[in-house]
Amino acid sequence: MTRLDATRLLAAAIGKDPVIASLGHPAYDLFATGDRDTYFYTWGSMGLASSIGLGLAMAQPDRRVVVIDGDGSLLMNLGSLATIGWVKPTNLIVIVWDNGVYGTTGGQDTATRHGADLEAASRAMGIAGTATVRTAEEFNSALARARTGAGPWVIVAKVEESAPTVKPPQDCVFLKQRFMAAIGVPETGTSGGKA
Amino acid sequence: MPSPSAPHVWALNTCAGLHAAGSRHVVYVPDNPLSHVLGALRDRYPDVQTTIATREEEAFGIAAGLYLGGKRPTVMLQSSGLGNSLNALTSLIVPYQMPMLIVISMRGDAGEWNAAQAPMGRAVEPICHAIGLSTSIVASAEDAAETIGLVGKTAFMTRLPGVCLLPRRVTVPAPRVVA
Repeated sequence: MTRLDATRLLAAAIGKDPVIASLGHPAYDLFATGDRDTYFYTWGSMGLASSIGLGLAMAQPDRRVVVIDGDGSLLMNLGSLATIGWVKPTNLIVIVWDNGVYGTTGGQDTATRHGADLEAASRAMGIAGTATVRTAEEFNSALARARTGAGPWVIVAKVEESAPTVKPPQDCVFLKQRFMAAIGVPETGTSGGKA
Repeated sequence: MPSPSAPHVWALNTCAGLHAAGSRHVVYVPDNPLSHVLGALRDRYPDVQTTIATREEEAFGIAAGLYLGGKRPTVMLQSSGLGNSLNALTSLIVPYQMPMLIVISMRGDAGEWNAAQAPMGRAVEPICHAIGLSTSIVASAEDAAETIGLVGKTAFMTRLPGVCLLPRRVTVPAPRVVA
């Protein structure tokens, strides 16, 4: 299963759930499956996708929030697992595309190729809903469990690197305003009104 | 002189300021002076939700998510944590124009005893200005509510982050220098 294959499965399952996408190839593959206003693409802040997702889940407790992270990115912000394990937002699902490499920067090995276990780390930090999946069937099954039961969830999906050929929109303010409008909290100042 | 257990005026006014700015979510990495703000929030502002982050950069990520979800976040940190925050600030908060109230408890400014705090203490304002963040300094314990409230309101009205600095001469009342 390539990361693009897995991303297609995810996109087919989540409907209008808001998604926070980690920068680089995970965001590119998400865009390649078909752009949606409910997707928030990051262009920097490596490692923070799960933190942004946590804040969004706290702000919007009645919405299911999906984070698309990468193994290299999550390794940069492991403390986020501790905070998620503490806050325990029931509406947060973190998907980790674990390909064992820094795919966006040329394919250097990450620590997960050498023993680091991000599912075990999640459990150790108090996150009860976890899975490691290797096939489309396993991924769909874990995703279905995560979407019907209480979170937080961390699903580590072992994937192969894909070769993205498209990029999401690059205007950061546009991406923010589009996303906030799509989830029903349009940013102040994005529409005119009474003087 | 208030007793040691009495709430500090500057801390109460900091709470009043962020509350007046409409902030009901505080994400923070604690330091000693900020503990007084957090204690006052807990005791007097039960409508303010506080979240501890493991690291300042993470706090800015959580605050970004809160903003995307329609909230008005405050991030509180010690000046030493600004260095930990720079990638989040420069590649997320500033380019996406995510307004938030940022309250920085200063170390390394007048009254400091720890040389390890001095370089970042000197650098806080130049760094903030270099990356496009305006700074306002709280002049006194009494001034904290007005300055923090105004900076917060301005941030949320202009949709740009705003920084308030709490100097040691405000947060660590006399004796400021031990002879």
